[in-house]
Amino acid sequence: MSAPAQPARVLVAGFEDGVASFLARQLRGVTVETAPDAAAARAQLSGGAWSLLLLDHEIPGGPGGVLDGAPALPPIFLCLPRGGGALDDGTLQARGVTRTFSHPIDRQALVREAAAVLGAEPVADTSADGGGAAPADALGEAVRKAWERFRGPVTARVDAIENAAIAVLEGRLTEEERRHAEREAHKLAGSVGTFGFAQGSRVAREVETLLQGSAPLGQAEALRLTDAAVALRRELARPPSPLTEMPRAAGGDTRPSRAQVRATPLLLVVDDDAELAERISMEASARAMRTRLARNVADARVAVADERPAAVLLNLSFEDGARHGLELLAELSAHSPRIPVVVLTGSGAFADRVEVARLGGVGFLQKPIAPQTAVDAVTGVLHLGQQRRSCVLAVDDDPVILDAVQRLLDPAGVEVHVLDNPERFWESLEEVCPDAVLLDIDMPRVSGIELCRVMRNDARWSATPVIFLTARTEAETVQRVFSAGADDYVAKPFVGPELVTRVTNRLERVQLHRALADSDPLTGVANRRRSDELMGQLMHLAVRNRQPFALALLDLDHFKLVNDRYGHGMGDEVLRRVARLLERGFRAEDVVARWGGEEFVVGMYGMDKEDAVRRLEAVLEQLRAEPFDLPGAEPLRVTFSAGIAQFPVDGDDLPALYRVADATLYQAKQAGRDRVIPAGWTADRPDRVTQLDVVVVEDDPALARLLLHALETRGYSSRWIADGREAAEALTGSRPELRARLVLLDVDLPGMDGHAVLRRLARDRVLERTRVIVLTVRAHEAEVVQALEEGAFDHVSKPFSIPILLQRIRRTMMA
Amino acid sequence: MSRRILIVDDEDDIREVAQMSLEMVAGWEVIPARNGEEGLRLAAEHVPDAILLDVMMPVMDGPATALRLQDDPRTAGIPVILLTAKVQPADRRRFEGLSVAGVLAKPFDPMELANQVSSALGWRE
Repeated sequence: MSAPAQPARVLVAGFEDGVASFLARQLRGVTVETAPDAAAARAQLSGGAWSLLLLDHEIPGGPGGVLDGAPALPPIFLCLPRGGGALDDGTLQARGVTRTFSHPIDRQALVREAAAVLGAEPVADTSADGGGAAPADALGEAVRKAWERFRGPVTARVDAIENAAIAVLEGRLTEEERRHAEREAHKLAGSVGTFGFAQGSRVAREVETLLQGSAPLGQAEALRLTDAAVALRRELARPPSPLTEMPRAAGGDTRPSRAQVRATPLLLVVDDDAELAERISMEASARAMRTRLARNVADARVAVADERPAAVLLNLSFEDGARHGLELLAELSAHSPRIPVVVLTGSGAFADRVEVARLGGVGFLQKPIAPQTAVDAVTGVLHLGQQRRSCVLAVDDDPVILDAVQRLLDPAGVEVHVLDNPERFWESLEEVCPDAVLLDIDMPRVSGIELCRVMRNDARWSATPVIFLTARTEAETVQRVFSAGADDYVAKPFVGPELVTRVTNRLERVQLHRALADSDPLTGVANRRRSDELMGQLMHLAVRNRQPFALALLDLDHFKLVNDRYGHGMGDEVLRRVARLLERGFRAEDVVARWGGEEFVVGMYGMDKEDAVRRLEAVLEQLRAEPFDLPGAEPLRVTFSAGIAQFPVDGDDLPALYRVADATLYQAKQAGRDRVIPAGWTADRPDRVTQLDVVVVEDDPALARLLLHALETRGYSSRWIADGREAAEALTGSRPELRARLVLLDVDLPGMDGHAVLRRLARDRVLERTRVIVLTVRAHEAEVVQALEEGAFDHVSKPFSIPILLQRIRRTMMA
Repeated sequence: MSRRILIVDDEDDIREVAQMSLEMVAGWEVIPARNGEEGLRLAAEHVPDAILLDVMMPVMDGPATALRLQDDPRTAGIPVILLTAKVQPADRRRFEGLSVAGVLAKPFDPMELANQVSSALGWRE
């Protein structure tokens, strides 16, 4: 970059100091000065040449005091109050405002825009120029280095949370242990975010809140602690996010990645009706959403600043809720990316609906309402939000215009592909597959109107929105544009908000249509049509990259009985739960679809049959572990059967794979349902022996889950079997299904107890290759002696701490 | 303008990052202290321009240290900023009784810490 002859000068008028010093740090070779009020700003502006004025609308003395009658002004960035929009675009332009922001100001966007106007480079982009690294890079590097040293001791704090989880499970959590775990969680919450683990801080804070006070902790809390401990270990094992990507407390772009959204989206419920809010919260947690309640609008603002919710359910019918609630709605819709808001109100008046829609509400529900319906609306909205980033193809022979389009649309979350040579239009169209096209009318050789006609004549592109960029707005041109098949036009020179609004409006419409056409309305996962399309793409990828591809067909067991006995409402809930579990159990790049009825299909790229079996078994395990509550009856247990086929060994095109998977599914049903089997499996001779490090035989699912997580995070392959007889069968026989280096065996098992399992393993000579550690309830000497005589290698008595158990496991394996 | 800041935090990781952050971003001189006791001694010895004080520390916690600083005429005039991961209702009442210049939330963003300290103290860097 060539240094400007004169350093660019920026005047920051009316802001707190932070903004000016941030700009100064982030823009190289730029002088930043500040003015606290209108009079000072005016005096400074008249004293020399300025390159940019950043003006706070709330400046003491008012923006008029700075701008009215001022001589030549530089480009102006105006920061409007929270919610913005007080001035219309015409007024802004007339005052020389080139860009507006709203409080809280998005500093990253500000730096980008300012850099563009000043021809300066943001510091973060110049990290590669060796020599004198900018402070941001140097600090980032130093913090990363520090993390390398502290990762060990910081991660060790998670032990306290794990130990507390076990103690809760076993009903022996002491006050001292609880406070210790709370303190460790507190420390994690306060520290790991600083190193680039914002999510880690949030999880730790949840743990801290859970442990606070003295409310008794039960099974549910133990599970939450377990999951939190696992999430923390996983998070801290990852490389930290670079500092520049850290979510900022105010205003920054804290867009969660798609993976995070899928993990556990946060629903913010703003309502003073505690009972309804509580029921909504329960319903939401059944659909794998976390909820946070805010009693009023002020609490809601705090909550949003704390963690960006995936969606907001806003009740407008409480006292004073209407006015403040609408303000909140406008604020949330102005967020970038916008936070979808579903509005609940006591009135269904048309005027209210219009007002809500105008302020950006994406859903409107009328009270009284079942919590289930409210949460349905929210999940619908979330599925829309999970669509991929929209993309636009912009065609103009003027690179300045293309550049402006890109800069304006990028912050709005739109990916822009630009093309300055209209003769390459057709190729670009095919390559980019845009969701909308922006066309200049006047281009050399080929006009935009002609391009638009060409698109409209091709079935594939006849429905894609086309928006014209035109300097000519006389009636005749406008009429030509529309008769060529355009959807809209924007006059050049365009102002940012207009272009952004027109484009995003079109894109949202496209997404809505697509979501409706592509997804199963009941569960929100892909429908059959869409899944065929996606599976086709994954297969192509698999062929090209010589990767395996696995296809699973699964069918709920005895589903008809569920519908018949408990009604279709229950049936629907079961289907939704299964869809959520599948979505959570698979990666974003896998395909999960419902094929109608109780049949689902999952496509897994890069996975072979064995991987696929493991993944689906984990989902099945979860489904078994979480029965559905029924009022006044035994909880309903639901299972499924699945068959898996692999490309290319079981078939080399989709129809062939479907056939094989379907036949295998039938086999699974025949073999007794409630199981996942790969193609080629035969009942009495498992296809292959699975070799594992550790098999955990334990009937308490929560403890088992904790053990498995602890083992897996330390690199041991492991499997959980809840039942003694099942374990004995899997591990014994002439061709056992499982071989393990070590078995952790609970003595106290229903059906076949630990001693019987151990005797069976000894009899079948399994103990020659597998060592057994027995988990005894209390250190009853007689029981321990008996186990050791039966062939156990070692014993650990409950309650135990995970680190000690792991030590014993390591020792046993090495011995 | 060069400033001298005393950081009192018992957690090594946070103390180090805060120190790096203030040194590298703002160019301030930083004196680290591992606990309240050491903090009191170093404050009296160096008379820094401000003190960053962690709330949750064993033996003598942040608020207790702040009270002792106020009682000592050598350190009574030094502005104190508390660093805390969570403001509990009970803490809030304790903070109100102290005349601290500000309360900053943990985790902090290393890029922003100097800024936050400056604005809490009304410094114009």
